[in-house]
Amino acid sequence: MIGTIVKKELFEIIGSKKFHISFAVCSALVMLAFYAGIRNHQANVERYEASKADNLRKLEGLKEWNEVDNFRIFLPPRPLEALVSGVSNDIGRTIAIRRGSELAADGSRFGDDPVFAIFGFLDLEFIFQIVLSLFAILFAYDSVNGEKERGTLRLAFSNSIPKSSYILGKWIGSFVAICLPLMIPVLIGCLMPLVLGVELDGGEWLRLGLVILSGLLFFSAFLAMSIMVSVFTKRSSSSFLVLLVIWIFAILIIPRTAVILAARAVDVPSVDELASSKSSFSRQLIMEDREKIDGYRGSANQDMDAMMQEFQEFMNSIHDERQSKLDAFNARLNEDRRNRQRVQENLGFGLARVSPAATFTLAATALAQTSLGQKERFLEEAERFQEAYKRFMLEKTGVASGFRMLKIRIGEETEEIAAIDPGELPGFDFHPASAGEYVENSMPDIGLLLIFNLVFFALAYFRFLVYDVR
Amino acid sequence: MESAGKNDMSRPAPLLEAVNLTKRYDDGVLALDHLNFSVFPGQTYAMLGANGAGKTTAINLFLNFIDPTEGEARVDGIPSHMDPLLIRNKVSYVSENVMLYMNFSAVQNLDFFARLGGRSKGCGRDEYRDVLRRAGLDDDCHDRKLRTFSKGMRQKCGIAIAVIKGAPAILLDEPTSGLDPKAAYEFINLLDSLRSEGRAILMSTHDIFRARDIADNIGIMKEGRLVMQRSRKELEGEDLEKIYLDYMSGLS
Repeated sequence: MIGTIVKKELFEIIGSKKFHISFAVCSALVMLAFYAGIRNHQANVERYEASKADNLRKLEGLKEWNEVDNFRIFLPPRPLEALVSGVSNDIGRTIAIRRGSELAADGSRFGDDPVFAIFGFLDLEFIFQIVLSLFAILFAYDSVNGEKERGTLRLAFSNSIPKSSYILGKWIGSFVAICLPLMIPVLIGCLMPLVLGVELDGGEWLRLGLVILSGLLFFSAFLAMSIMVSVFTKRSSSSFLVLLVIWIFAILIIPRTAVILAARAVDVPSVDELASSKSSFSRQLIMEDREKIDGYRGSANQDMDAMMQEFQEFMNSIHDERQSKLDAFNARLNEDRRNRQRVQENLGFGLARVSPAATFTLAATALAQTSLGQKERFLEEAERFQEAYKRFMLEKTGVASGFRMLKIRIGEETEEIAAIDPGELPGFDFHPASAGEYVENSMPDIGLLLIFNLVFFALAYFRFLVYDVR
Repeated sequence: MESAGKNDMSRPAPLLEAVNLTKRYDDGVLALDHLNFSVFPGQTYAMLGANGAGKTTAINLFLNFIDPTEGEARVDGIPSHMDPLLIRNKVSYVSENVMLYMNFSAVQNLDFFARLGGRSKGCGRDEYRDVLRRAGLDDDCHDRKLRTFSKGMRQKCGIAIAVIKGAPAILLDEPTSGLDPKAAYEFINLLDSLRSEGRAILMSTHDIFRARDIADNIGIMKEGRLVMQRSRKELEGEDLEKIYLDYMSGLS
């Protein structure tokens, strides 16, 4: 019996004009998203390689390692970013590495090309979240009450059909009817990276597959919700309106409101406030150091070089001491801010997860490595690199921090000093978390999408068991 | 209520039987008040009455779309509310406005409802075509989408669905409403042939003349009660229209 109803739904939907139009629009959008995404990724890779080369080129010709001042590292573009952009266009993708300063990422894509920030990119997440959720509503808003209005429900139930089979058949039939054809452009899109010469490793294929799976679960949740609303409302016009309101709340209102509420509930000091505190503390330390410098009395009876050496050591020591105090203070402030941010994020995302759309976004961005975690990971990797950089510079300059003493040599023969070799600098390799880690992070949200499906369908199911089919 | 015609004791059991059938809705409206009638195999029973007389409620009770407040609507001796799925195997239903799946052809609609009606593997295409022809639909419209059908053609498709199900009882809710005279005539002829096959037909209608032509027994309903029930034989030589109008105006 379920098979008969599934088949009927399948043929009824596939035979309708609205399906033909929706399928054409959807296919075009999905393939465009893949194509544009892959081309964007290729452009981003070129830009990344050029920036890296330029970074090294700027160091060419420098005579001393101390002169190296603005060495930058770059966040490499990943193919899945182009398909699920998440925050990848908003976060800074470049960090200037210095021996004694805090790290801050800048150079976001939207910062460089603000025109894209206005409307955002057309990516898979957008298509699933906006377009497919609307299609789910369009195809299922009248699935039950529409049949009642048309009289086909009454005729169908003049036969010996269990209501449970009917509602289950409707859900499965609608899902299969829309998802199977949708898989055609998605599969063609998945072939595009191969055709256009973008290589995805096994982990990336797995994560892409899971992004599509979570998209289908999200779509299916909206479908089940549409069926549920069509069971709970008398008229199809009412269910359409109710679903549009739910859509607006799920897609636009709840996620944004959740973040605003979280921001209200958990106070996170702004970057400017932090900078001000750090600056005050730094000034305080400098004042203390000045007193130390004023009170400096070198050893007597030494030659000039020894005095200079002693003074340099003294200066280095107070600089290093100050820097270490400053670093500890900054680290404490930063950690406190990060902790508060995490609490805020957890609260905001937790509240936003009331909406299947937010849950899908969190799952998809976690899988595509374009969630907020990407920024944190980049900074963590940069901090690790900074340590390697400091060690390298200490080895090359003999000075741990950026403090430099001007040396003037008088009376010595000027010798030709060889330029530094920028190739000696440690290379920055961004190590993203393993595919397994990202998959693990996304599992709660994928599970939640599954729960949304079950809850919406269960509500539709139990309401339909007592539904008046007349 | 006037008495119905005598039932022969040697006749088989009624296929459709209302026994003190009463329905009071949640809002307190008494839609049916102790309705009693029987429809035997090979018989047609026409329920006449104004809108709101309770005709459709009676059909809904036989299909168990609603539960009776009192009494029973029996199909082949089984109270419909006791085993709705079983009794729905024994009845076919044609509504006032047959609204099928408009994106399906007549054959596709027939196939779907045949499967719902218990023919799980469907029927052969030839069988569908035979049934559609029998219902009065020409070959050239068998594969046409239903959205191109007139009301009369849809009605014929509806009766084809009832025929293909092969149920022993047929419930018709205002089946000739809105049909042109030719379509109504063809429809009545088809019902006549189904009756002659031994099916029990319960029909609600406003059409006094058609009812008189086809029905073996006629019941006039008013405000949920069966105010008159007579056999065709008993009505011979009487003016059914006058009787009906007298009951409606309260003269009888």
